[in-house]
Amino acid sequence: MPKLKLELQVNGRKVSREAEPHQRLLDFLRDDLNLTGTKEGCGAGECGTCSVFVDGKLVKSCLMPVAKAAGTSVQTIEGLAAPGDLTPVQKAFHKTGASQCGYCIPGMVMAATSALRENPNAGIEEIKERLGGNICRCTGYTKIFEAVEMARDVIAGEMPAAVLEEDAVGESFIGANVRRLDAPSKVSGRLKYAADMKMPDMLQMQVLRSPHAHARIMSIDTSAAEAMDGVACVITSADVPGKDGFGVFVHDQPTMATGKVRYVGEAVAAVAAEDLLIARRAVAAIKVEYEPLPGIFFAEDARKPGAPVLHDYAPDNLVKHIPIRKGNVEAGFAQADIILEDDFSTQQVEHGYLEPEAGIAYVDADDVVVVISPSQNISHHRHMLAEIIDKPINKVRFIMSPVGGGFGGKEDMIYQGMLAICAMKTHRPVQLNFTREESIIASAKRHPSKVHYKLGLKKDGRITAIEFSMLSDGGAYGMSSEGVMRKAAILSCGPYEVDNLKIDTVAVYTNNTPSGAFRTFGGMQAQFATESMMDMAAEALGMDPFAIRRVNMMKVGSRTHTQQELTTASLDRVLDAAEKASRWESGPPTVRGPARKDMNGPDTRKPCTLGARFETATPGPTEAEKVA
Amino acid sequence: MMERKLRGRGIAASWYGIARTATIDRAGAWAEIDDGGTGKIVTGVTEIGEGILTVLAQIAAEEMGIRPEDVTIGDNDTARAPEAAHAGATRQTYMIGNSVALASREARSALFAELADHWGVAVDTLKAFNGEVWAVETNQRVSMKDAVKICKARGVVPVGSASFTAHGTGLDPVDGSGAPWQAYVFGTQVAEVEVDTYTGEVQVLGIWAVHDVGRAINPRGVEGQIEGGVVQGLGQALMEDYQTVDGHTTTHGFAKYILPTSLDIPQINCTIVEDPDPLSPLRAKGIGEPALVPTAPAIMNAIYDAIGVRIKSLPATPEKILQALRERHAANQREIA
Repeated sequence: MPKLKLELQVNGRKVSREAEPHQRLLDFLRDDLNLTGTKEGCGAGECGTCSVFVDGKLVKSCLMPVAKAAGTSVQTIEGLAAPGDLTPVQKAFHKTGASQCGYCIPGMVMAATSALRENPNAGIEEIKERLGGNICRCTGYTKIFEAVEMARDVIAGEMPAAVLEEDAVGESFIGANVRRLDAPSKVSGRLKYAADMKMPDMLQMQVLRSPHAHARIMSIDTSAAEAMDGVACVITSADVPGKDGFGVFVHDQPTMATGKVRYVGEAVAAVAAEDLLIARRAVAAIKVEYEPLPGIFFAEDARKPGAPVLHDYAPDNLVKHIPIRKGNVEAGFAQADIILEDDFSTQQVEHGYLEPEAGIAYVDADDVVVVISPSQNISHHRHMLAEIIDKPINKVRFIMSPVGGGFGGKEDMIYQGMLAICAMKTHRPVQLNFTREESIIASAKRHPSKVHYKLGLKKDGRITAIEFSMLSDGGAYGMSSEGVMRKAAILSCGPYEVDNLKIDTVAVYTNNTPSGAFRTFGGMQAQFATESMMDMAAEALGMDPFAIRRVNMMKVGSRTHTQQELTTASLDRVLDAAEKASRWESGPPTVRGPARKDMNGPDTRKPCTLGARFETATPGPTEAEKVA
Repeated sequence: MMERKLRGRGIAASWYGIARTATIDRAGAWAEIDDGGTGKIVTGVTEIGEGILTVLAQIAAEEMGIRPEDVTIGDNDTARAPEAAHAGATRQTYMIGNSVALASREARSALFAELADHWGVAVDTLKAFNGEVWAVETNQRVSMKDAVKICKARGVVPVGSASFTAHGTGLDPVDGSGAPWQAYVFGTQVAEVEVDTYTGEVQVLGIWAVHDVGRAINPRGVEGQIEGGVVQGLGQALMEDYQTVDGHTTTHGFAKYILPTSLDIPQINCTIVEDPDPLSPLRAKGIGEPALVPTAPAIMNAIYDAIGVRIKSLPATPEKILQALRERHAANQREIA
């Protein structure tokens, strides 16, 4: 197709360029103009990280063909303030701590700016609704709301601009609300994440992924892909130079599928090419012959006799079983006045970091293989990659690029090995940027879990025994499952001293998307069951939920579930503070909600009704609007 | 006839261990008090969004006697920085923070030794804060910039290095006994919800989140971690659900995999409890992961308080709430009959 001739204004400057007809405005800004403050988070208009102004209107640039931007005036995050300066909105984000990983923040700043341009007097409810198209996974939005309100008030002159500056230090920097040092680079879009980086002569990599949950690979034919113009290399597991295998605890996952695939989305082959389009076409030209195998899709089926086996080393499909025993549970239940027994389950959860996985690898002048990626564990990745590519440790270098959200999801080395091998084959820098869909199918999730719980108590609320058994779906590879089971077991029965315990946590292999590390590492799945049971017990015994927890809570000198003696313990103060802060009305949890007197306080928000929040905007641009 | 919208409250408590589990944990750092009275820190792993860079700058500044904005942190490069292991396990403030504190302290000791000798005062009379160094009960006071000049003129570059260790032990393979962490934190959250009994929709209107963090290095940063954790917990409680059919995902984008957005956010009221850690120089513990643990059970307990329906299978979607209400209604009818 012929190229498009484009003329438009970008950040106040005239731009005349030729563009490819398939380009989105987002691609044009990032790839052609190097305005990488505009981020790609989903490519589907769902997350808002790519928000820009087109003729003054907030637009998701991933949804706009660049052809439609011809003749318009585009403003990006880089154009909001003069170089080196920040707008009041950006300064307020800095002041309140509204940026954490920062990846959503350029888009969020654009949405906030739009909100205050549209209505400089916007109230908090309207601000919330106007930010509704932008997802943030780190902050919980609260500091963002605070920032937008602060900026609104500063712009309107109702707050002095000095509130945006650093607070004066007292006697110590420890305990001081020092503003985040990395915030200016994030609110201005200047910080380069891995996908924003460019190196001269850099190739683009794309990955062929398994369409099967469990299948034998009969053959891989890469000849058509390799013959394509612009393809620099095609790799499969046969190209791994060293001992293949990675994982946080057990190295059971190959860099690319070897012999068989174990989940939908598993990497099978990769292509490095002159540009993304060629790489994608080449990936489509790789022919793989599969023989589908029966799969395991429910954790309960994994250990049944005759179940398909995923890994030869684990014929029972067991990833890990962690047992904890303390006291005598039979005796404990015999002492109980009441026994409650129930089942709980939690779902598989996606990390949803706004930055999809991305990375660059190159071989430097001293033959060091360098990988730049948002890895949460560069020291372990270095060890594993050294084995995989058969190099000494000091010839492997990992650089952690700014992480656009991790939450445990970037601890697994699921693509860095492929990048390194392509770089070694071509001696050129190679970059891979995941799409959102690719990130979702290929990366680990929070373990879905099922807990069976048996709880014995005396009438006074004292726990006499707990039997806790958890089964987790580890998915196709081990990743962090062993550690997650260990932490789940250790924390399982909550912050309570219990003399008689029988705890088992088990993770099994299935052909589902792998489960791995995710903020709390099994702790929340386990304690969700415990804290539900505590309230059920409180109801059965007619006790206040705080009271039953105080009866059982760990104190200094308590022995934990693993029989460790605690030398400090703060739950007494924490419970007191929570009861006081929430103005808790004491009483047993017997569905007394509707009769409670402690609700609807000034420390709650109003329930929301969609569409009822926009006040009438002031007509015409005001001074305040221009400043935002 | 039940009212359409009903409110309720619930609580959940929680606990968590700090740093790597059931193993010894370690982190290294290098420090230098540099020209101009600035500071240089090099360590192996830092920011994933939690704010650790700023926390480390505060720690280094406090220990060196300079200002956080004067600290440069070189980090995250296995070929240029000492190992600090990984970014996770609620270990950054505890492991790397203490390592940076100790390394910075060593650099300061090197500088103080030279300066004390230069001034002819006892080294333990020296203090440094916010870019100035002085000897107590004397007139000796210089800027940190000049102090570095004096030190270097005497042939000494004030550097330090440190490795910080947390002594967790493995678990017994039979009974699981062991001391997996040397520091524990505790938390409690209260949730207030409104349930629409026609649609099954749950709105969380308030969260009171109380967490022991040891010592809050940057309280606003701690709040940010709590707020982020609460909202991830809320997402898991009410809407997030990665689903597969025969191994194929049916939730392949953010149109299908629903994350909390601004209209879902309760007012989050944070209270920080400081129970100092006796085993580490900073006395701080951590907050990253613990903030998320009690949110979902607190919300489920609040839903029960509101409508008498206990959701034991997350997430509590509107469909599940309505189904549970229907089942409860049917059971009540049977009882009446």
